[in-house]
Amino acid sequence: MTDSALRAVDLTKRYGRLTALDTLNLDVAPGEVFGFLGPNGAGKSTTIRLMLGLARPTAGRAEVFGADAADVARAHRSLAYVPADVALWPQLTGAEILHLHARTGPGTDPSYRDELVERFDLDPSKPARTYSTGNRQKVALIAAFATRAPLLVLDEPTSGLDPLMEQEFRTAVRAARDRGQTVFLSSHQLAEVEAVCDRVGILRAGHLVEVATLSRLRALHRSEVTVSYAGPAPTLTAVPGVEAITENGDGRLRFTLTGSPAAALRCLATADVTALAVREPSLEEMFLDYYGAENGR
Amino acid sequence: MSALETAPGGAVIRLAARQIRRGGVIVAVLIAGMTAIVAATFDQVMADPAAAGSLEALAGNPAIRTLFGEPIGLGTAGGFTVWRVGSVTAVFLGAWAILATTRITRGEEDAGRWNLLLSGRITLPGTVVRHLATVLTVPAATAAGITGVLVASGTPMTGALIHGLGTGLLGLFFAATAALTAQIFPARTPATGTAVAVLGVTLLARMIGDGITALGWLRWLSPFGLMALSGPYVHDRVVPLLILFAAAVAIIVATGLTAARREVGSGLVTASTSRPARLGLLGSVESFAIRRALRPLAGWALGIGAYFLLIGLTAVSVTDFLADNPAMSDAAAQAGFPGLGSIAGFAATLFALLAMPVGGFATVRLGAFVAAETDRRLTSLAAQPIGRARLLGAEIAATAAASALLVTTAGLATWAGVLMMGGDLTLTASLRGVWNSMPIVLLSLGAAVLAVGWVPRWVGVVGGLPAIGGFLLLVIAESVATPAWVRDLSPYAHLAPVPLTGAGWPAIAVMLALASALTATGIAGYRSRDLRS
Repeated sequence: MTDSALRAVDLTKRYGRLTALDTLNLDVAPGEVFGFLGPNGAGKSTTIRLMLGLARPTAGRAEVFGADAADVARAHRSLAYVPADVALWPQLTGAEILHLHARTGPGTDPSYRDELVERFDLDPSKPARTYSTGNRQKVALIAAFATRAPLLVLDEPTSGLDPLMEQEFRTAVRAARDRGQTVFLSSHQLAEVEAVCDRVGILRAGHLVEVATLSRLRALHRSEVTVSYAGPAPTLTAVPGVEAITENGDGRLRFTLTGSPAAALRCLATADVTALAVREPSLEEMFLDYYGAENGR
Repeated sequence: MSALETAPGGAVIRLAARQIRRGGVIVAVLIAGMTAIVAATFDQVMADPAAAGSLEALAGNPAIRTLFGEPIGLGTAGGFTVWRVGSVTAVFLGAWAILATTRITRGEEDAGRWNLLLSGRITLPGTVVRHLATVLTVPAATAAGITGVLVASGTPMTGALIHGLGTGLLGLFFAATAALTAQIFPARTPATGTAVAVLGVTLLARMIGDGITALGWLRWLSPFGLMALSGPYVHDRVVPLLILFAAAVAIIVATGLTAARREVGSGLVTASTSRPARLGLLGSVESFAIRRALRPLAGWALGIGAYFLLIGLTAVSVTDFLADNPAMSDAAAQAGFPGLGSIAGFAATLFALLAMPVGGFATVRLGAFVAAETDRRLTSLAAQPIGRARLLGAEIAATAAASALLVTTAGLATWAGVLMMGGDLTLTASLRGVWNSMPIVLLSLGAAVLAVGWVPRWVGVVGGLPAIGGFLLLVIAESVATPAWVRDLSPYAHLAPVPLTGAGWPAIAVMLALASALTATGIAGYRSRDLRS
C-alpha cells in the first residue's frame, strides 16, 4: 500500500474548553491538489499547525508520507510550507532569506528559484523590513515552490497578492502538479480552489463537513440575483437552476441561480426589467445556506 | 454614545498603559520596597558593632564603591540608605524606562500596529508624546514611593525629597532619551542599543568622576553624577536636579520635533533600501544563530570591555591606598573581603560582578528567541527539517559561546588596564578570574531556557533570577544581616575569590549540574509545547 501524502487520524485539538478541531480524518493522495476550504476561524490553520508539528494534538495523530508529524526532522524532509501571515527576519534581504531557506530546507532547485523570482517580480536585494504584505508572501511562495519537496502545504497563500500575481500563483501550482508534487491548499476563496484543485475538503467550526469533488463544489457555487421591474412580475418558478424566489412587493424580486443562466435570462427578457444585480455570496453565506447552522457547533 | 465621545488621546494613553502596567507596578513596588527594607534595618545594623564594622568594610570595598558610588553620610539612616540602594535602584529604573519606552513606541511601530492607530484622528508626535507621558508615570510613582517610605522611616523630609526626585528625574531622563532614539532610528534594536549606550557611558562618567578628582567635573555631564552631586541628607543641593530636569525637558522637546519631521515606519536615519546579499553564516540553523548574536555581542563587549578596562586602570591606585591603610583592609578581611590590598584580591571581587551583565546578556538573547517565535519569524525555520531540540540547542550554544567571549573580553580588558598602569596581574590569573564567573552565567542561561520551555512569557524574569536576583539577594542579606541560609541561596555566596584563591570546584560542579538540569528540563518543555504564533 502506498502512503498517503498527508493523513490525519482522529486529529483533535482543544484549547482549554474550546475545541478547535474535532476528530478530523483525512487522506490526501500523492500527486493531487487538495483544497481545504472553510470560513475564517473554521480551524484550517490549526489543522495545518498540527500537521506541521508546530502544535501538538490533544488526541489523534497526523502523518506526512507515513512519518509522524511530531518527528519534524523526518516529516519536514518531504514538505515545504507557506504560512498565512508571513513574517520574515527584518534585517535580512529577500535573497538572504531565500538562501537560508534553501540551505536549511529539503533541497532547492536554484535555477527554478531564479525563474520564480522573475515571474513573481520580486526585488530580492531589499531588506525584508521594507517589503509589503504581498512581497513577504512572494518570498515564502518562491522559497516553497523552488523546493523539490513532494508535498507543498500552502495556508491562504494569495490573500496579499494582486490579481496578476494570483495568476502566477495558479501557474506555479499547476507546474508543481505536473512535476508530481502534492499540494495542500487552504483557502477561503472558492474561485481559487475551483481553479486549481482536484478535490476539496470543507471544514466548518472544527468539523470536516465533507470531502467533495469539483463538480459537487460547482453545485455549491450559486449566485444571488436581484431584479427590479416595471409592470407584472416575471414568473420564474419553473425555470431550471432558479431557487429561493422572494418577492419584495415593491417591484423587486430576488432569487438564487445555479448553473447556466440562459433559461433565467430568457424568462426575464419577457418582463420589463429596469435593473439587474448579480452577487457572488461569500463562502460563509454559502455554508450557512447549504449545510445549515445545525451542522456546525 | 460615550465611546464615540471619548477623546482619542485618552484612548492612546490607555493603550500605552495596558502595555506597561505590569512591569511598571513591579518596578515601582520593588524600588520602594528595597528602599524601605534597607532604611528599616539601619538602626539594627548600627546597634550591632560587628555589623557596623562589616558595613564599614563593605563601604571600603572598591567593588561596592564603584557600583554604589561615593559613601557619604553613612552615619544617618537616610545617607546609609541612599548609598546602599540609591545607585542600584537608579540603574534599575533607568534600564526599565529605556526598554519599556522603545518597546511600546518603536517596537509597536515596527510590528505595523501603529498604522491602524495613526489612521485615526491622532498625529504621530501626539502618539509618541502620549506614550512617553504614560511611561513617565512610573518614575513619578517611584519618586513618590521612595520619598514616602524614607519619610515614613523617620529620615528628614528634605533629604527624602531630594533622593526621591533625583531617582524619578533620572527615570524621566532615560525614558525621554529612549523616546528620542526611537524617533531617530528606524528599528527597535538600534534605538534601544543607543539609549542603553547612553546609560552605560553616563554611568561610567560618574564612576570616573568619583574615582579621579581631576575629572570630577565629568559628573556634571551624567544623570548619575548629577544625582550624586545633589548629595541627599548631606548637601541637599537642588541645582543638579534642576539641570537634570532641564536636560530631560530639552530631550522631550527634541523628541516631539523629530517625530513631526519623519514618516510613520521610518526614522530620521533612513535605512538603505537595497544592498547586495551577504550570505555568510546563513548555511545552517547553528550558523544563523551565531549571525544573529554577532551584533548584540559587539555592543555588549564594548560596554563590558570599557568598564573592566576602567577597573584595570584604577586597580593600582585603589589597592595602594588600601595597602597603606592596614586598619581598613583588616576590617575588610574580617567582613569576608580578604586581600583587597592586592590587585588579585581587588580583581576577584570585581570579577564576581561580571556574572550580572553577562547573565543579563544570555537572558536577553533567549528573550529575543521567544520574541521571534511570538511574532512568527521563527515559523519558517520550524517548518524546515529541523527538530525543536536542535532549533533551541543552536540558540543555547551560540549564546553560551557569546557569553564566554564576553567574560574573556572583560579578562583581557582588566589585564590590559593593569598592565598599562604598571601593576601586577598575569593574563592567566585575569582569565581564570573571569572564567570563574561563568557557572553563574550558565545558571542564568539555564533558567532562561527553562522559561522558554515552560513559561515563555517570563523568560526575562526567570533568566535574570540567578545572576541579577542572586546578587541583589546577597547585597540585601549582607546589609540587613539575615540568617545565613538566606544569603546561601545566592550563587554569589558560593563563588571563590579567583584569582586570589583557587577555584571552588565543588560549588562550581553543583552550579554546572544545576544549570544542565535546568537546560535539559527547558528543552524537554520546548519539545512538547505548541509554538506561540
